[in-house]
Amino acid sequence: MSNEQLLALLPFMVLAGASIVVILMIAARLSHTAIQVAGFLMLCFTVLAMGYVRDILPQEILPLFIIDGFAALYTGVIIFSVGVVGLLSYIYFEEREENPKEYYILLFLATLGAAVLTISRHFVSLFLGLEILSVSLYALIAYLRNRNNAIESGLKYLILAALTSAFLLLGMALFYMETGSMEFNAIGQKLAGSDPGVLFKLGLALMVVAIGFKLALVPFHLWAADVYQGAPAPVTAFIATASKVGVFAVLMRFSLAVNLQQSEFLLNVFSGIAIASMILGNILALRQQNIKRLLAYSSIAHLGYLIVAFLPGTREGIEASVFYLFAYAITILSAFGIVTILSTRMKDAEDLSVYRGLFWRKPLLAAVLAVSLFSLAGIPLTAGFFAKFIVLLTGANYNLWLPVIVLVLTSVIGLYYYLRIISTLFASAPAAEPRHKPLHPFFHFVTYATLFVLMVMICVLGVFPGPAIEGIRQFLMIR
Amino acid sequence: MLRRSLASLGMTNTSSRHPEPSEASVRDRRRIKERIMENYLYLIPALPLAGFLILSLLGKNLSKNLIPVIGAGSVIGSAIAVILLAIQYDPENPVRQILWQWFSSEDLSVAISLSVDALTIVFLFVITFVGALIHIYSAAFMREDRDYARFFASMNLFICSMLLLVMADNLVLLYLGWEGVGLCSYLLIGFWYEKPENSRAANKAFTITRIGDTAMLIGLFMLFQEFRTLYIPDILNNVSQHFESGSATLTTIALLLVGGAVGKSAQLPLQSWLPDAMAGPSPVSALIHAATMVTAGVYLIARMHGIFVLSPEAMAIVAIIGAITLIIAGCSALVQTDIKRILAYSTISQIGYMFLALGVGAWSAAIFHFFTHAFFKALLFLAAGAIIESLHHEHSIFKMGGLRKKMPLIFYTFLAGAASLAALPFITSGFFSKEQILGYSFGAVNGNPILWVVGITGAFITAIYTTRLMVVVFWGEEKTHVSHLPGPAMTLPLVVLAILSIAVGFIEWPHNLMHVAVFSDYVQNVLPATVERENIAPPLVLQGIAIFMTLFGIYVGYMNCYRKPIWKANNYQTPLFQSLRNFWFKGWLFDDLYNNVFVKPFLFITTVNRKDIIDKIYTGISNGASQLHRMFSVSQNGSLRWYIGGVLAGILIIVTIQMIV
Amino acid sequence: MHIYLLQAVTQNPDSSYWYLPVGLQLLFAIAFVGLMMGVTHLLGPSRKTADKLSNFESGIESVGNARQPMAVKYFLVAILFVLFDVEVIFFYPYAVNFKSLGWEGFLAVMMFVGFFLCGFIYIIKKGALKWED
Repeated sequence: MSNEQLLALLPFMVLAGASIVVILMIAARLSHTAIQVAGFLMLCFTVLAMGYVRDILPQEILPLFIIDGFAALYTGVIIFSVGVVGLLSYIYFEEREENPKEYYILLFLATLGAAVLTISRHFVSLFLGLEILSVSLYALIAYLRNRNNAIESGLKYLILAALTSAFLLLGMALFYMETGSMEFNAIGQKLAGSDPGVLFKLGLALMVVAIGFKLALVPFHLWAADVYQGAPAPVTAFIATASKVGVFAVLMRFSLAVNLQQSEFLLNVFSGIAIASMILGNILALRQQNIKRLLAYSSIAHLGYLIVAFLPGTREGIEASVFYLFAYAITILSAFGIVTILSTRMKDAEDLSVYRGLFWRKPLLAAVLAVSLFSLAGIPLTAGFFAKFIVLLTGANYNLWLPVIVLVLTSVIGLYYYLRIISTLFASAPAAEPRHKPLHPFFHFVTYATLFVLMVMICVLGVFPGPAIEGIRQFLMIR
Repeated sequence: MLRRSLASLGMTNTSSRHPEPSEASVRDRRRIKERIMENYLYLIPALPLAGFLILSLLGKNLSKNLIPVIGAGSVIGSAIAVILLAIQYDPENPVRQILWQWFSSEDLSVAISLSVDALTIVFLFVITFVGALIHIYSAAFMREDRDYARFFASMNLFICSMLLLVMADNLVLLYLGWEGVGLCSYLLIGFWYEKPENSRAANKAFTITRIGDTAMLIGLFMLFQEFRTLYIPDILNNVSQHFESGSATLTTIALLLVGGAVGKSAQLPLQSWLPDAMAGPSPVSALIHAATMVTAGVYLIARMHGIFVLSPEAMAIVAIIGAITLIIAGCSALVQTDIKRILAYSTISQIGYMFLALGVGAWSAAIFHFFTHAFFKALLFLAAGAIIESLHHEHSIFKMGGLRKKMPLIFYTFLAGAASLAALPFITSGFFSKEQILGYSFGAVNGNPILWVVGITGAFITAIYTTRLMVVVFWGEEKTHVSHLPGPAMTLPLVVLAILSIAVGFIEWPHNLMHVAVFSDYVQNVLPATVERENIAPPLVLQGIAIFMTLFGIYVGYMNCYRKPIWKANNYQTPLFQSLRNFWFKGWLFDDLYNNVFVKPFLFITTVNRKDIIDKIYTGISNGASQLHRMFSVSQNGSLRWYIGGVLAGILIIVTIQMIV
Repeated sequence: MHIYLLQAVTQNPDSSYWYLPVGLQLLFAIAFVGLMMGVTHLLGPSRKTADKLSNFESGIESVGNARQPMAVKYFLVAILFVLFDVEVIFFYPYAVNFKSLGWEGFLAVMMFVGFFLCGFIYIIKKGALKWED
């Protein structure tokens, strides 16, 4: 490994180092605050390292990794999401858990897993990344173990993830049997020109299971609502953003390497999955009264939209998907941020009744939630609108009419339940509850500020998407 | 001349027109660097926008003293910016500032870009300067109102939209401003929304102008279809190559644009909303429904003159619309009793003059009349507002009277405005601008004697109703007690406007009397010069007739109202006269006509279709979706076995499909 | 026997029909199991008595519930043991290749051990290996 290759891995090493640092800090019995600050600093270092190594990209570290602009973009979205999740976590766990510190180890490990997925070009690194991510998530989901649903949802996730991982392994084995290689590019070269054999297709189908499970696509979506509900709100935000971004990145890279979209059959499978996800996700959310479950269903639908951008397998598709994921991450983070901040010691703020008349009590929070819901619904002047728009444009450019039409129609259904929440926000307020003095004024302020910044970002991305798109394009040139 | 000025707006095909494009552009660039204000064009609309944002977000929490400071201050700020701009402005080199690319989709790319030429500067000056005066006035006028902040927020938003409208150099942005002013007009007409009739008036104004807006939008679509761009200079530059003179498509486009203009400017047949719009506060009437917004239609036609020049039919229609409107509205103004309604009808009538001028190709005359009209009509409305407020919200002129002694300052300022409106010869601005229009309606290529006669008749009527208004309100005995006199914040704008409405006329004299043509020289780079016919009656004769008619009108008004008041309500009992009076009073029954032709059939259809057959489809969809939701919710039963079963079923389905295909 | 599908197999060995026999066999297996279970259920007599329903403990009478709570420390120690056991297992191949891997290998292993050490410090500080409270 040359120095440059090693240097290119620096951000990932810093990320890995973050969990070690946290372990040692816990061993040194430092306070939660110190750990939070240190964790945030480590994330900042990661970002700095990413900026530092930008010029030497792309680097291929054979056979496992490739670090290029594509990976940098997805990793960037992941790091951004984790940064926000980390900021949201402090108050949440400080108030609920006597042992909040190990949370950060798990969080950083999960992040590392997701980040490794974005740079992997080999089945081994893919599987390693996926397992680092999953194993940390099992514990994260069940972190508040005294809560009612925590253990249950953790266990559900564990069993289903193990099951699908097994399928993934079998799929990889079939690939290996067919092509004699586990590198994406080598597999692609072996397949080039010849019609893929039946084992290859079977392997792909099995791989779709694992990927579909992680992305919560229909018909592998059943876990989503239960896990979203049972997990602590910041962890849910993590599952909704970072873990999905990582998995989607590896799916994209793999499919580009093996020209997945050339195969009519797989195109049909994926568009079928996308259509089913869009329809089912939106319909399931329709009358949902629990906001965490509702966001779970909406995330099923949103990943369905995202798959529409994945279908063409072109540069526009990648651009659209990165933008979509970024917009989606900001949006869903601010939504879960509100859930986090409104949660009480006993229970997360998941019932819709908690949000009744929120606008009259806490206008800023209500505004953030309303903006993020508008963005989820794809109302113009929000990031969500533009993201959906370019996805539509990509789909329409490649004549994927059926998914595109379903996207539009289901967005309309989606509007119903987002507006339902928004109207709840503005409903007449119940008697004002006594104001608690926040326990940690500084972190309280930081959380509020974060949410406000997210809201501004949603609006800015919706009004001036140009620079963001241009930035994405610039990064994708690095390959 | 026109083309060259447009070419220097910085368009694509300058090379074919400009003799030395590269040198010229280098020189332009250097010059732009020297003129600082032009880099801050965005400040002009941004200041009122900032005011709007602050007031609407924080309005409830601001003190009563701070609100007018922000509300009026922002407009004063942009007025100062406009004046600085006007000082540095070089008519040979219009400026353009691209702020950012709004969106671009294939051919259509829309930049948020502001550009300023002489025409824009005239409008900018009126909007910000008169706007600032009206804001100062409102600071005192609206002080007791509960929604002080909301008022200023809406006014600021209006100013911002109006500025965007005139500074836009592409039609999309112009349309944005166009809709923005419509929205603000709606908000401000219905400002006192507790009264149902105010809301109704607001709705009426909005609905009727929407009709025009729709026509205009279709026109914009057609323009885009033809030119593949909505960048105004490009359109104007290419229109002569693209179309034959008098082409049917071009005429259609022009007429659709006229449709928009007619709606906004309250011309026939969409004029009926403006008198009702007087439900808003007086400053609103002064700013929106006299000085600025209602002249947006005039601006649109003047801005798109390149299209109209090539379509004589459309020009003729504009002139005819203007001529008919000015008579109809003038007659209605004769018999109204509400002071603000009189002024509203007179506004319609004066804009009719502007349309007449546009229609005969007297572009600069139309804009000049807009310029003078903005001052004296704003003045009249503000003075009327002051009177109404001092008289316990009394609107009827027959319950006023004798105010000459009681409110001398108001009297003198009102007199200045009224004299200008009646076009009192040689000392008022209204005379100079109206004289030009009348002259061109006869003498321009597109003009003809009939239009001139109509214009003269209109001037006669104007003089009569203005005199009637003056006499009834200010002479005679006092009928309502004057509760208090307006304070300095209200009188200062009145005085300034009064001076202006007398003085601004002197910058443009009839060309046969004295060679002063500051205004038309100023706008000549933008607007084509009016082409005059050969061999017509000597202008002096025409002017003489016009002056005579005005004076005669004043005399008639004076005789009838002061000596033998015949137009007093119920004073002249002939049935014919009664019914005519009634007919005019109700604005020629246009409201009833529209009610019977459009509103009632529509209501009938809605009653018949109360259960809404088409709606069944949508309720069906939503019920179906709910049903599906219930069905699929069963799948989310929380049982892990079931979930695993789901995953396995998914795999089986995919594998099976794969095996079969 | 000339089944149409099996004919197809001979023509294109890479098509999915090639796996038809496997699929058929799978189907038969499942069907057979289902059939047998169903048939025994239907045909066999079923008489339920208390003795028959109780757990079978190789003839010894059953006492209480087998699911006794157990101190979590056992698990903890067991898990940690496995962890460090695995670490040791990694040393064997390294020991064999010690010479050929050279300094680079040495550094890599030191890093590996270093990370483990961090974990170990954490475990000790957390008191995971303290048997008595």
